Amino acid sequence: MDRNAQARRRRMLWRGVESALLLLVLFLILFPILWMALTAFKRPVDLFDLTVFFTPTLDNFRTIFAHPWNIGQTFLNSLVVAGLTVLVSIPASTLAAYAFSRFEMPFKGALFFTILATQFIPAVVVVLPFYLLFRDLGLLDTHLALVVVNLAIVTPFAVWMLKGFLDAVPTESEEAAMVDGATRLRVIIDIVVPMVWPGVVVTAVFCFILTWNEFLFALILTRDDAVTLPVGITRFRTERGDLWELIAAAGILISIPMFFLSSVIQRHFVRGMTGGAVK
Amino acid sequence: MADVALLNVTKRWGGFVAVRDQSLAIRDGEFMVLLGPSGCGKTTTMRMIAGLEEPTSGDILIGGQRVNDLPPRDRDIAMVFQSYGLYPHMTVGDNIGYPLKLRGIKGAERDAQIKAAAAKVELGDLLHRKPRELSGGQRQRVALARAIVRRPTVFLMDEPLSNLDAKLRVSTRAEIKHLQHELGVTTVYVTHDQIEAMTLAHRVAVMNQGEIRQLDTPEVIYDRPADLFVAGFIGSPPMNLVTGHHGDGVFTAPGGFRFTTRVGHHAGPAVLGVRPEDVTVAPAGGGDLDASIYAVELTGDAVLVTVMAGEARLIAKADRAWRAEIGSTVALRLDATRLHLFDAATTRRLNPEAPR
Repeated sequence: MDRNAQARRRRMLWRGVESALLLLVLFLILFPILWMALTAFKRPVDLFDLTVFFTPTLDNFRTIFAHPWNIGQTFLNSLVVAGLTVLVSIPASTLAAYAFSRFEMPFKGALFFTILATQFIPAVVVVLPFYLLFRDLGLLDTHLALVVVNLAIVTPFAVWMLKGFLDAVPTESEEAAMVDGATRLRVIIDIVVPMVWPGVVVTAVFCFILTWNEFLFALILTRDDAVTLPVGITRFRTERGDLWELIAAAGILISIPMFFLSSVIQRHFVRGMTGGAVK
Repeated sequence: MADVALLNVTKRWGGFVAVRDQSLAIRDGEFMVLLGPSGCGKTTTMRMIAGLEEPTSGDILIGGQRVNDLPPRDRDIAMVFQSYGLYPHMTVGDNIGYPLKLRGIKGAERDAQIKAAAAKVELGDLLHRKPRELSGGQRQRVALARAIVRRPTVFLMDEPLSNLDAKLRVSTRAEIKHLQHELGVTTVYVTHDQIEAMTLAHRVAVMNQGEIRQLDTPEVIYDRPADLFVAGFIGSPPMNLVTGHHGDGVFTAPGGFRFTTRVGHHAGPAVLGVRPEDVTVAPAGGGDLDASIYAVELTGDAVLVTVMAGEARLIAKADRAWRAEIGSTVALRLDATRLHLFDAATTRRLNPEAPR
């Protein structure tokens, strides 16, 4: 009896330690976001005040959308670049991943590895060649240049991810469709894609996020017209100092799609796991 | 409707030979069962007919036309898969109608054909469900309906009953047989279950290690197995096989087993086969062989009597009222007209005369 009580006390103590540790981690992760959220609604005079209670204002958001910051344009640029990148890379990656998943080919392993190997090269190494390339093509400061570069970053990743999803799908339904009269492409569109749809959505979301947050190439390859949101934020570091309240407001703006997309991922992951196979 | 022919077909994966130089002619409208243990090449053979595997060498003909280079969709076949291969994101109706959709059959005509096919397999009121909402037996019916919805020239069925429970298997088996008879479509059916093969087939091809060991009607396969493999594979409980020596029309085995066969010409090591139902247990001294009771098992419809005759252990099927003490001495009578004698070296059958 005494032993039991002791064991229970120890268990509860451990639970308490566990909870405390979790709270600490949670705090470390969430505090910067909370601080950013608070800062975004503060007037410049309240900025370095540690109080949680202040008069909230939307002035910061009005400022960043107005001249000369025009953050709306950079938001749109980001949306266009990320959207087009996903739109091109997902169908292409799906076909590539399907080929790697289903077909035998010479040097398959080496080819598949090569796709990933492109990612081992640090971005800094290739950013200058890319700059020169796009300068010669007259594509500097265009959406197209950013889409091309982001495709190179995102597609290998998407192929790997999608192949994982495709490998998990049994081939019997595909074979049934082929016997029923479908061409290979028809099988992919009618049968394969619907069956791995949660995986496609999750991959698309990850690709969108990668592109959305891409900084280095956007910084080097754009100047005025095609500036994306992460680069746009750096403009708030002015000769008058860092405009923290504006940085925070733009930070909120850049995070909004992430909040939305993470909820999409969550939903599809759950559905993907409970969807159930055929048998 | 069409006949199907395999001409010297071989399928090899690296060093592994799945099907070895096999030829097989399936007649128009015939129900052909490919029977064998797992890994014997029966599914590979079917998948080559379907076009899902390419033969390494040899030709496949459907309706007299060489189809080696045709993709599955151009072979005018329908296939039922072991785990059904349904389209999980489509309703039952869309699953059944998919082959029609691919052929551009639209609207009312498609609906009518879907309904007709669903009615044939008694699925009428489930057309709006998704496959995951169905039981195993219902999914099986969807797969069948999808196969029959357009009249293909050949049906291919790959162990379609193996995922069903025992009771459902018996009733679905009869339905498949009825359906095939009604539609008269050439059917190739793969199974490892000898009962399915015996009950369904017009002819059975018994396969092992990539080769067809015997191709004949179920009756002949059962009554005159061509070799030791077929003899041991078909029948439940399996045929009694006694290894010994044969000469001058007499078969002997260690421990005093001695039996006069009617096969005169063979001398050498041999295996004697006799099915449990062809062994009669008689009172001691009243038969061909003396034996002692090893075990008595009541199965319900019969009693399986295991006896020791010399060093050989035999199973006899007796009437379900038959009883005896373990260890008691009895005599065995073997039906001499239904004996099977095999060459121990080549495993081939030695007595070719039809036992009647």
